[in-house]
Amino acid sequence: MTRGPIPILRVGDTLLITVHTDLHDTVAEAFQEDVLAAIEKTGAGGLIIDISGLDMVDSYVARVLADTGRMARLMGTRSVLVGMRPEVAATLVRMGYPMEGVQTALGVDDGLALLAAVNRGK
Amino acid sequence: MDSPVDGSERFGIDSESDIALVRRRVREVAQELGFDAFATAAITTAASELARNVWTHAHGGESTIARVLDGRRRGVRLEFRDRGPGIADLPRVLAGGFSTARSLGLGLSGSKRLVDEFRIDTTPGVGTTVQVTKWARY
Amino acid sequence: MARLKLDAREIESRRAFFELTDDDLARLASLRSFAERHSKEIVDALYELILGHPDSRAFFSSEAMVQRVKSLQREYFLGLFAGRCDGPYVEDRLRVGAAHERIGLAPKWYIGAYSRYLRLLLDRMFADFTPADAQASYLSVSKLVAFDMALAIDTYNAAYLDTMARQQAAIRELSTPVIRVYERVLLLPVVGTVDSHRAEQIMEQLLVRVVEEQARAVIVDIAGVPVVDTRVADHLIKTTAAVRLLGAETILTGISAHVARTIIQLGVDISAMHTLTRLADGIELALGLIGREIRAKAATP
Repeated sequence: MTRGPIPILRVGDTLLITVHTDLHDTVAEAFQEDVLAAIEKTGAGGLIIDISGLDMVDSYVARVLADTGRMARLMGTRSVLVGMRPEVAATLVRMGYPMEGVQTALGVDDGLALLAAVNRGK
Repeated sequence: MDSPVDGSERFGIDSESDIALVRRRVREVAQELGFDAFATAAITTAASELARNVWTHAHGGESTIARVLDGRRRGVRLEFRDRGPGIADLPRVLAGGFSTARSLGLGLSGSKRLVDEFRIDTTPGVGTTVQVTKWARY
Repeated sequence: MARLKLDAREIESRRAFFELTDDDLARLASLRSFAERHSKEIVDALYELILGHPDSRAFFSSEAMVQRVKSLQREYFLGLFAGRCDGPYVEDRLRVGAAHERIGLAPKWYIGAYSRYLRLLLDRMFADFTPADAQASYLSVSKLVAFDMALAIDTYNAAYLDTMARQQAAIRELSTPVIRVYERVLLLPVVGTVDSHRAEQIMEQLLVRVVEEQARAVIVDIAGVPVVDTRVADHLIKTTAAVRLLGAETILTGISAHVARTIIQLGVDISAMHTLTRLADGIELALGLIGREIRAKAATP
């Protein structure tokens, strides 16, 4: 489904993307493009971005993630960021980047449950 | 990358991919010094922010990674040097005031909060040097 | 114990501050034969002092020990006249300092002994050399002795820091227990004053546990915190934000009437957080977040 190094899986009406590697430079661009292309193609209502593989998220990566979520939202897709590591959360907050507009959940299961609850509430 | 007598390592920041190299090396050094996950994440992120500033705002420069040992504590000291435009209104930028220099300010003020010592030397039209130090925690 | 080490930069910096120049080291090297000539009597005189004082004599359990230590001391003494002050020299001095610290020899004995060395050397230098040479020699050796003393003090400090670190780690574990009150619900009762250092540790420990337990809700009870000012509130806000990034929610309980007044009067905005007075209410709220509720049992017929 993608041309980039990050595979996108489909779980029902939700797309699941696991970020294994540094989301930097051209990889970030490709990531965003691949995600949005997949949403456009599938019309998925939900997007889960799993960052449990990231040992560092700086302001650049934080922006890429937040922007991707906002772009998805414009297309009608709700996104959830899951699996953030403790040291990454601590660093973001200490820097002053609490990523307030971004929905979070502990893991993929919780993310799916959250999206389902949101949909039920609709 | 060379290794001057005092054991510090120098990295040129001549392309965007150099940022990742600097980050990787900083992480290695931090782990060798016994930094825990939180301290490692902090200094690695600060390095990424500052290296990115050098690349984005000055279009190139260099960074130095040195271990510091002063008998009572051990730590890592990073220096980022560029010959870029410099920062005109430093206090305001550090407070995140300018929208045009927003990412620069956020990178600087964010890094400042992640390290133990932060020094910046900047002259508009000449360049900027940022030095940060993080000590191993007990 | 963390190995104490000085890098080349630090050695340079200290040599500069102690004004210990290459000339000084060269002069000391040139005094090597003078030192060897007098080493036995100087070491003997030093131990006359040490063994003559009841408190310092207590460190020596036998004559054999005294002899052994004297010969080590002679090596140490001659080390002052090796003409070097580099990495290996410093390492050697630090090792000796560490050994003394391990046996519990307090700095006062160390420094008193150095002082005796200097007096003994001064006498012999003025006896053997011209006044000008004696003065120059004495100055050089006193600089190196001062440098050595700083190293000795560093080793004591390093040992104290190590002990403190271990104690702090223990206190941390004891003072901030993160309790699992229910599956996926954690409780953190904070007791005592919370300074920045402790607040950072609390946050880190909590975040690690949230991920370990995959906790959906965290109850932080601050009834046991005597003073809640803007700094403490700030830490709570940061911790809540970090816990949220992991995907969990924080419930703050133990807000007394006094604390509620203080927070509003200080202008701190914690309205975005779940805040409650009673811990029981916090537990109920947390359970609600994971789809559980507490109900009265049906009356038995």
